[in-house]
Amino acid sequence: MYRKLSAQSTVMLGLNLGSYNYLDSTEVVLHDIQLDVHPGSLTVISGHSGSGKSTLGAILAGLLPRHGMDELVGSIGVGETLIEFSSSSTPRVDVAQWAKHVGLLPQDAGHYLSSIRGTVAEELAFSLENAGVPREQMQQRVTDLAQKLHLQHLLERHPQQLSGGQERFVALAALAMSEPGVLVLDEPLAGLDKRATAVVSEMINLLRANGAALVVLVDSVGVWAREADELWRLNQGTLHRISAEDLLQPGGQTPRRRPVAADAQVLLDMDSVQLAYPGAAGPAVSNLNLQLRAGECLGLAGANGSGKTTVLKAIAGLLKPESGTLALSGVSGLLLQNSSDQLFERTVLREVSFGIPKKSALRHRAPEVLKQLGLETHAQTHPYELPASARRLVALATVLIHEPKILLLDEPTEALDEAGEVVLQEAISSVLDRGGAVVLSTHDERFMERTAHRVHHMP
Amino acid sequence: MSRTINLHPFTILALAVAVVTLTTAASQWWLSCAVIVLCLLIAGWAGHLKKLAVLSGAILLPTFLSLLLIHGLISRDPSPAMAQWGPLRVTAHGLEVALSLGLRTAVLVVVGLLCGLLVDKHQLVAAIDLSPVPPQLGYLLAATLFLLPQMGHKQRQIGEAQALRRVGTRKGITGWFQRVRLRAVPLVLASMQDAQDRAVHLSARGFPAAGVRTRLRTVPDSSVQRGFRWTALAIAVLGPVLILALTRMGSH
Amino acid sequence: MSSNLLLPEETSSQTLSRRLMAIAGTVILVATYITLISTQPMGIVEGLGQGVALGTFAAYLVAAILLLLAVLPDLPVPTLTLIPVALVLNIILGQFVGSVMIPLYIDSIGTVIVGFLAGRRAGAATGVLSTLVWSLFAPTVLPFAAGAALVGFLAGTAARFGAVRRIFLAPVAGLVAGVLVGVVSSPVATFVYGGTSGVGTGALVAAFSSMGDSLLSAVTKQALISDPGDKAVVFLVAALLVYALPKRLSGSFEFVRRYNVLGKRASK
Repeated sequence: MYRKLSAQSTVMLGLNLGSYNYLDSTEVVLHDIQLDVHPGSLTVISGHSGSGKSTLGAILAGLLPRHGMDELVGSIGVGETLIEFSSSSTPRVDVAQWAKHVGLLPQDAGHYLSSIRGTVAEELAFSLENAGVPREQMQQRVTDLAQKLHLQHLLERHPQQLSGGQERFVALAALAMSEPGVLVLDEPLAGLDKRATAVVSEMINLLRANGAALVVLVDSVGVWAREADELWRLNQGTLHRISAEDLLQPGGQTPRRRPVAADAQVLLDMDSVQLAYPGAAGPAVSNLNLQLRAGECLGLAGANGSGKTTVLKAIAGLLKPESGTLALSGVSGLLLQNSSDQLFERTVLREVSFGIPKKSALRHRAPEVLKQLGLETHAQTHPYELPASARRLVALATVLIHEPKILLLDEPTEALDEAGEVVLQEAISSVLDRGGAVVLSTHDERFMERTAHRVHHMP
Repeated sequence: MSRTINLHPFTILALAVAVVTLTTAASQWWLSCAVIVLCLLIAGWAGHLKKLAVLSGAILLPTFLSLLLIHGLISRDPSPAMAQWGPLRVTAHGLEVALSLGLRTAVLVVVGLLCGLLVDKHQLVAAIDLSPVPPQLGYLLAATLFLLPQMGHKQRQIGEAQALRRVGTRKGITGWFQRVRLRAVPLVLASMQDAQDRAVHLSARGFPAAGVRTRLRTVPDSSVQRGFRWTALAIAVLGPVLILALTRMGSH
Repeated sequence: MSSNLLLPEETSSQTLSRRLMAIAGTVILVATYITLISTQPMGIVEGLGQGVALGTFAAYLVAAILLLLAVLPDLPVPTLTLIPVALVLNIILGQFVGSVMIPLYIDSIGTVIVGFLAGRRAGAATGVLSTLVWSLFAPTVLPFAAGAALVGFLAGTAARFGAVRRIFLAPVAGLVAGVLVGVVSSPVATFVYGGTSGVGTGALVAAFSSMGDSLLSAVTKQALISDPGDKAVVFLVAALLVYALPKRLSGSFEFVRRYNVLGKRASK
């Protein structure tokens, strides 16, 4: 089952994978992978959503295969120990012990946090508390770690009131508390705005400087290329080495943006609009003037809390303006930020067709919409079994099927991978082409630049 | 404005248990009323009076009414009736019984709710974690208390997202069922998926602790409080026995 | 430096002390119930009335807590993360129906879901915990912890024997569970509180009482009217919710796999 390797090995973590299947599935998710992680190295593995990146990350961290459920054929060497897996026997791994050698930061950092502690300091100490470390020692280690990673200002905060970036920051620090030799980070910078990206990147560099080996799983290599010791691409279930030349591809083509006709119909006219939530102290948005023409894509930019989502909700009719006028011509469709939460049907097709009477012509549009978004192969799959990117697109499909004249998007790029973003841009173009308009709120400046005709900055 | 008591959570609970059992055993209306008034005063001092009053009222009002119906109106004991309409038979004794039972429940409710308002949740969980009970108990209590506002928030978000789908407007039982399905199913799916995703990371961080466990948070305690707790619990068990024995002897 | 990365082979799950606790809890519960039924102490306010009240309260609560402590260490972590979700669902979904003015107390839907997915021990634990959490808002529910544990226990048992495989079997199992829970919890309502907590149920008890029933049988009859229907609905809704889960989620529970709880109804 396991044996000790020779003492001269300098590999901290060695994966020799023949094949990997999930529970009750014959589909081989990963096969023929050989990966060695050397101390202090940075290994970057890129792959699109659904390629098996997270599965690979979990395998490296000993979280998969689950005993009695999944099947891994191969072996993993952690430090001086080699553990063999075969189709007939899955050893019962002690994940807590494994985490002392290899730690995993999941894509949704909130899943890593315990959610039962009242302060960030206690959250950091959680694994120490479970190990029975004396209080004074814990206090010392928390203080030291906070100092080293620059998070003293967060120590007394409530973990559930942190922003997305801060959550990731804290989870990473908690992960580092056990001082594992290898850190596996699953999309550590995804969905963060510029400031949060800088902060998290700085912490990653600090950890690396402290001697940890990093395995980073990303959607596209991007900024990691410069410092990576090893670059891989995960495709079709196996790893392919990437060379520097592969990265010198031309940047994604900017889709041709058709200029807005000067005489295009005005679809949305907001004049001195003030919006407030019932029971709130003051207005969320004041004196807003906005006009939208057919064929135009408008971007909304501004800091968190500046009211972008409020504006979108008002246009969609969820919120009535307290004062001012809002004139809308045509039906609107709003894709909210947490739209993946609203999915509840058993198959994608049923989800998209939900609410549409059987005899209606719109029903026939469902397969078309799925095809347009690249989801036709998933028509009979349960939405929760899809990767996050596909699930977001399913939510988008439920909006597009009603053929809205004005498409409203709140942080649409969140959870989408590169391919998903392309699909989104095409969907936006198709709405604009048939005389509709799009209002887009996002902090992804790159996407905004490529997609929007003009940008309105919220005060 | 709310003030907090700096006692160990278990001390407060032990005291509450003793008070409730003794008051119930004594079964004297003046004692029960005094206890209730005292609780209200403490709540007032701590700044929770309105909450205590509202929550207690919400529970006690239907209870009192129910007891009145059962004992006050349909009393079957042989004492002369005060009023009688068909099967309804009001007697003084019946009303007394109803009031007495109601008061008994009232003491439990008011003392219990006051405890809930005075005890700090974080301290309670830490106290439980540091006690010999299995570590799962503290986890489950904390996880539930923290999850409640989160899921409430998520429920509202789902409600908004579903409102945009312009469905569930049909009248009648099918419309209602659709609306319920629309609100309930995504919440259940999302929260259960979330629970599954969290489990493995919790294990990786060493939960549940196999051996000794510690907490960073301190729960201030003293030997005086410890002694008090044991005494209170002893009184809570032996007191009623004593009181009931005395009452029994007194009535013979 | 090299620590053992593998867990030792699974030993027998319950240590002696936990087994004793479970037995003690069950014995206390059964003994109290039988004593109350057979002696039917009169006089709920005078004489020993308050003694009976305190004794019943304590016995039922202590029994429930012993069972909880006996079961907790056995629960695997995925079940432990599921339970808080179930407890919150008890509160949220219970409120939701209440707002539609239907006189059902479907505040045990989470407990039943856990029973269906993780087995009867987990279901029982969820029931007790649900009561403990509710007691922070309504201390009167404490002695009903044993009844709540019974709901979860029966849900797990029903699932184990295939009641969730067919949609029409679930409410039948709920009906049976409702009868059992009603019968077990009636002595609590009778001897601890001398009645019920709601006006509607109080009226029913009063009606039975006026027809000549003793308080215990009046309360029991009222329970047998409202509980089975309520639990039938809860079991049905819980089954529908469990069917809606993706197989990846429901299949990750060992209990579901081992006893083929969902049969062919699992979503693909």
